[in-house]
Amino acid sequence: MSQPDVEERRDLKAAATSHRGDRIFNGIVIAAAFTALVVLAGIAIFLGVQTIPAFQSQGLSFLTTTAWDINTDPPTAGIWGMLYGSVLLAVIGLVIAVPVSILLSIFMVFLAPKKLATALTNVIDLMAAIPSVILGLWAFYILNPTAEEWQQLLNQYLGWIPIFENASGNYLGTPFIAGFVLAIMMIPIVTSVTREVLARTPPELINAAESLGCSMWTMLRFVALPYGRGGIVGGVMLGLGRALGETIAVFFVLKIVFDTNWYHIIESGGGSVATLIVSRFGEVSGEFELSLLLAAGFFLFVMTLVVNVIANLIVARTGRIKS
Amino acid sequence: MSTVVFDSAALPELQQQKIQRPWRRKPAKLGWSIAIASIVPLVIVSAMFWSTNIPGAVLMTVVYLPLQLVASGVAAWATKGTRGILDSVIIVNAIGATLFAMMVLVSVLGSLFVRGWAALSAHFIYQNNVYISPSTPLDYGGIGHAILGTFLIVFIASLIAVPIGIATAIYITEVRGRAVPYVRFFVQAMSGVPSVVAGLFILTIVVATDAFSQSALAGGLAYAILMLPTVARTAEEVLKLVPEDLRTGALALGSTRSRTVLRVVIPAAKTGIVTAVILGIARVIGETAPLLLAAGNSDQTVLNPVGGPIAAIPTYIFNNVALPYPDAVARAWGSALVLIILVAVLFTLARIFGRGRIGK
Repeated sequence: MSQPDVEERRDLKAAATSHRGDRIFNGIVIAAAFTALVVLAGIAIFLGVQTIPAFQSQGLSFLTTTAWDINTDPPTAGIWGMLYGSVLLAVIGLVIAVPVSILLSIFMVFLAPKKLATALTNVIDLMAAIPSVILGLWAFYILNPTAEEWQQLLNQYLGWIPIFENASGNYLGTPFIAGFVLAIMMIPIVTSVTREVLARTPPELINAAESLGCSMWTMLRFVALPYGRGGIVGGVMLGLGRALGETIAVFFVLKIVFDTNWYHIIESGGGSVATLIVSRFGEVSGEFELSLLLAAGFFLFVMTLVVNVIANLIVARTGRIKS
Repeated sequence: MSTVVFDSAALPELQQQKIQRPWRRKPAKLGWSIAIASIVPLVIVSAMFWSTNIPGAVLMTVVYLPLQLVASGVAAWATKGTRGILDSVIIVNAIGATLFAMMVLVSVLGSLFVRGWAALSAHFIYQNNVYISPSTPLDYGGIGHAILGTFLIVFIASLIAVPIGIATAIYITEVRGRAVPYVRFFVQAMSGVPSVVAGLFILTIVVATDAFSQSALAGGLAYAILMLPTVARTAEEVLKLVPEDLRTGALALGSTRSRTVLRVVIPAAKTGIVTAVILGIARVIGETAPLLLAAGNSDQTVLNPVGGPIAAIPTYIFNNVALPYPDAVARAWGSALVLIILVAVLFTLARIFGRGRIGK
């Protein structure tokens, strides 16, 4: 009888399982693991099918024009202004949220005493937990009057810059207010990622920089920020994905108009795909309009999916380099 | 053979020792210059605010911020030389950004409590809305139906999302099949699905199959789509913390894979899995768009999962926000306060369970 070869290391995990209970267990777990794929594919298929009636009646102009006249004959519908509006709002949000988030993380990681930093982390988590409908309620009643005043001042003093033009004198329902609300939703997301990557800067590097005579600014500029750049970009993209899909908070502060608002950010009226869906759904006129909304939902899904996949790839890549 | 003996008794003393960083020593004048640099601009701006009628927002951005930057730059220059000037810019801006974020949060929570408190009463919690119109005074009616609706929808969503989410985490950490990177990728992609798209997806199924209309079940399914990634990712983090020794120990004792997972790994990570479930619930409980599309609205108390449209707190708020009746708006603030309290309770619970040590 031969002895088992003890030199060779056996891999317990790779051993084929013959037990019936194990096989059933494995089957259930594998089925569950692919639910995410099934749901994503289901969304793509069920909503994707709905783009067929939209393209049949509108052709490519469904994507390239801005119109929503369903009851005319023939009906016209185009969501370009909405797609563009979603991006515009997200960009306004990013312009406000990114500097605030990075400075906030610098404060939490490098400036604040440890106890204050921990408390701030909890507070930022709390901020992330505020439901969007509550932010919408707050924005509608508390932010709107204040923001109206800010925008009037912007127009008064900086009105010669094209983006701060306002011909109508109406400062409510503007992309600026909606973008500001989106910024409030993005700040906790971007901050939590940025704080984490900045906190992971190796202390040796920081101490070395300081002992070489770096001031705080040079340390940040040449050590901490370059080190965390990938993570920060990923966090910003995650925030962007959230902003593109946001529906309810924008619903209360943006006046949806079917006329592309290219850059007049303090002029009343703008677009957002997600908000279009909710605002039209309440008074949907029939099967055809419903399928147009579902088609709009499909393009929203594709847009956010692409942004999120890129964001996650960036975050995952920087995570790998570090570990 | 000589061995280095680690003296564990000396450890606390070592930890107590303060690390010396001579290059970090603060100049003696620093405290004074910080105080002067913070007070002087504030005094000038408040003087301007009271004596002239320039709007506060303009004063803050055009006068106060540059003045504060200059003042702290001068203070930094006086104590640290030219190198300090850029530092002071960073510090002033970082503190400003922090104050800005805190101001927003205080404004949101403060207005919620001040305005929401007025609507709260005992009957606001348990009565429903059957005989209530938007102009009915606050003495009657409440959001009992919406609270029950939210609980029912969240319960249905948990029944679906929790087992699937935990099983997904088990696949990633315990079964460790070949598809692990892909499964993680899909779960992450799913976490980015906008809530309105989840609602639309369920709606297409409702329309396509005609099997059930807008209902608690449809709303629960839409919530489950949003809840699944949160549960799966948190449970994965938690299961990773279970010591490898427990698994190999159980396998070495002759336990099968499934028994190891169900009897050893999961019980060891019990509190963490509870946290995952709570965080999943907290993620969805305030979502409005999916319920607008999939669950509809109702003024009655509905307890049948397939009994037609059902109210929930977020949709109740949504329907009352922009109505031109002060009492309806007060109801919206009141239910928003109830909702934020629910979210806060969930997060506190998650913290408490999250503190429980893995493996005990």
